[in-house]
Amino acid sequence: MRDSSGTKAFAFTGDWREFAPIAFTNLLLSIVTLGVYLFWARTRERRYLWSRTRFIDDRLEWTGTGRELMVGYGLAMLIFVIPFGFINLVVLNSAVMRGHEGLAGLIGLALYLAFFFLTGVAIFRALRYRLSRTLWHGIRGGSDTFGLAFGWSYLWKSVLGSFSLGLLVPWTMTSLWNERWGEMSFGPYRFEANARAAPVFVRFLLFYLAPVVFVFAVIALAVLGVVAGGLGSWRSLPAGGAAPFVLFAVVAGFYVLFFVVLGLIALVYYAAYFREAVGALRLGDLDFAFTATTRDWIALFAGNIALVVGTLGIGQIFVGYRNWSFFIRHMHAYGEIDLASLTQSTTRRPGQGEGLLDAFDIGAI
Amino acid sequence: MRVWHYDGVSALRRAPELVAEGDAFVLVERDRSEGPYRFADLVARDTVDGDAIYGLKGSSGWRIGFPGGVPADLSALLPSPTRYGGFIDRIGLWPAAALCAMLATIAVAAFLMTPALVARAVPRSVERKLGDMMAGDFGDRACAGPNGPQALAALVARIDPGDPDARVSVVNLPIVNAVTLPGGRIVLFDGLIKAAASPDEVAGVIAHELGHVRHRDVLESLLRQLGLSVLLGGLDGHVGGYTNALLASAYSRDAEARADGYAIDALAQAHISPLPTARFFKRLAAGEDGGGIGRLTAYLSTHPMSQDRAARFIAAAKQHHDDRPVLNADQWGALRDICSTDPNARAPGLRF
Repeated sequence: MRDSSGTKAFAFTGDWREFAPIAFTNLLLSIVTLGVYLFWARTRERRYLWSRTRFIDDRLEWTGTGRELMVGYGLAMLIFVIPFGFINLVVLNSAVMRGHEGLAGLIGLALYLAFFFLTGVAIFRALRYRLSRTLWHGIRGGSDTFGLAFGWSYLWKSVLGSFSLGLLVPWTMTSLWNERWGEMSFGPYRFEANARAAPVFVRFLLFYLAPVVFVFAVIALAVLGVVAGGLGSWRSLPAGGAAPFVLFAVVAGFYVLFFVVLGLIALVYYAAYFREAVGALRLGDLDFAFTATTRDWIALFAGNIALVVGTLGIGQIFVGYRNWSFFIRHMHAYGEIDLASLTQSTTRRPGQGEGLLDAFDIGAI
Repeated sequence: MRVWHYDGVSALRRAPELVAEGDAFVLVERDRSEGPYRFADLVARDTVDGDAIYGLKGSSGWRIGFPGGVPADLSALLPSPTRYGGFIDRIGLWPAAALCAMLATIAVAAFLMTPALVARAVPRSVERKLGDMMAGDFGDRACAGPNGPQALAALVARIDPGDPDARVSVVNLPIVNAVTLPGGRIVLFDGLIKAAASPDEVAGVIAHELGHVRHRDVLESLLRQLGLSVLLGGLDGHVGGYTNALLASAYSRDAEARADGYAIDALAQAHISPLPTARFFKRLAAGEDGGGIGRLTAYLSTHPMSQDRAARFIAAAKQHHDDRPVLNADQWGALRDICSTDPNARAPGLRF
């Protein structure tokens, strides 16, 4: 029996100088293999990050292999991406060319919906794969289901979310979180998640309404400018040929400002969402919590951007490290684990890695 | 030898004694004994905090850890750890990187050369069929105004005597360009005929395209285009007929230079002055045809223009004597009006 209420249950003990040789050799080998090594590179990176992550009294261990990731990617390509490409290219085009626009529209819609479904399946299976390859005290996690039900759920909730003009997005996100984690287990214990949308809805509204406010602000500024111009203050501006450039600079400035501001507000929402989501997670007698504030998230993203830009892109190889260390630093767990009753998972161990997710380029968890 | 141990069944951390017996061992802990296990069945995991950790083949959670690393007397029996994975560990990082870099270079080179090799391997008859199939896109637009086809045939016969297979046609599209289909079909757009100041200019363009036919550049370019679109995830839905691919397919500079060389030889043998062709290229490069920039970019985009190209034709003119025009005034008039006087030629319009 362990009690984790005293010291922090999660700790990351990595050191970027220790990680650097892994990152740089990964980069080298990925380049000389034209990217094929990326699967093994990702595996080596995870082996390091997991092994430097302590939960209560012992390290995590990543047991996935590069081959699994490659097979998963290959299967995803074979089963989904290539048929999709074929339908998209050949069937859709020939339908349009032969004048069957209605049929083409239907096929397009079906493709679009199928894409949502597969995205859901991919998210589910990536989480399941990661849990099944994560070892703690010799015990792993997993899931008994294949994620097809989650795929449907993801499909109709996404469609519903867009029909409600995006207002249901917090509910979609939290309910999907609950659904996928509810299917996951570690050892004999099932995860439970009961994240609610209400606590994050106000912050979501902030994000939702920001563009509207912004547009009004721009209009107000423009009106003010015209009024001021009428009063003759344009004289102080550069005259003649420079005016278009000034206008262009102003528009570009607004454009950048808009996305920076919107990005920041999105983080305000996401920080609250992630705290709610992780905080609603339970495994046996363990409760989890995530403490990163908006400020922490901004620091993470700003740091990542500075790292990548400042090193002309090479810093990218440390982004995964930074993200993981951020994640573990802010992860907490409270409660008890009975080691004697924590027995090996009986879930089926999936054979391949997160292929679909790779193919669709989506993040897990 | 004391080790720590997870049996992969329960999460309890054990601290058994590892007792080696030849190439196998048992784990003994007070009243409990596990094994025997063969050392050869162990799988090395990453060393963490100085502990050498081993898993067991066929078991996902079974682990033993040697605190402070592997004891010297067991190290010969234990498998070595994987680091980079597979063969890289066997031959070492740098040799593996060098080997992979070499293979990657070969792969890229092979990829770049494949179109040329495949194009050479395709039989002429297959290429011809392919060209006929693709010509369907233009088929109903070939112009045949009074005496126009005859004038065109006379022009082609001058540049390319003794080749009954050369099939040149004019299509009623207002684009300043010429396209060569696989199988030796050359399609001139009416816009190019209108932009030409003399039949000799048209002759130069046709001679250049004949060069592409002789060197089988067309198929190679098509294959390269196809390969690229597949490689770069060409899933953006642009397979609106083959024409797009053809119009977009630029030849390599080498292929252009070779086709120019062929054209210069052909003009010399036919006693047609290369100077009008040089002028035509110069006009195109300078954008002086009066048809607007939009019309000109078509030819330039598929036939990269440079001062050198025109200069080559000018230089070739020094070897010429007794040049004579490729068509007489009546023939040239018929060719110029080949589309406008053809009631059956479809009205100009861009379908793609």
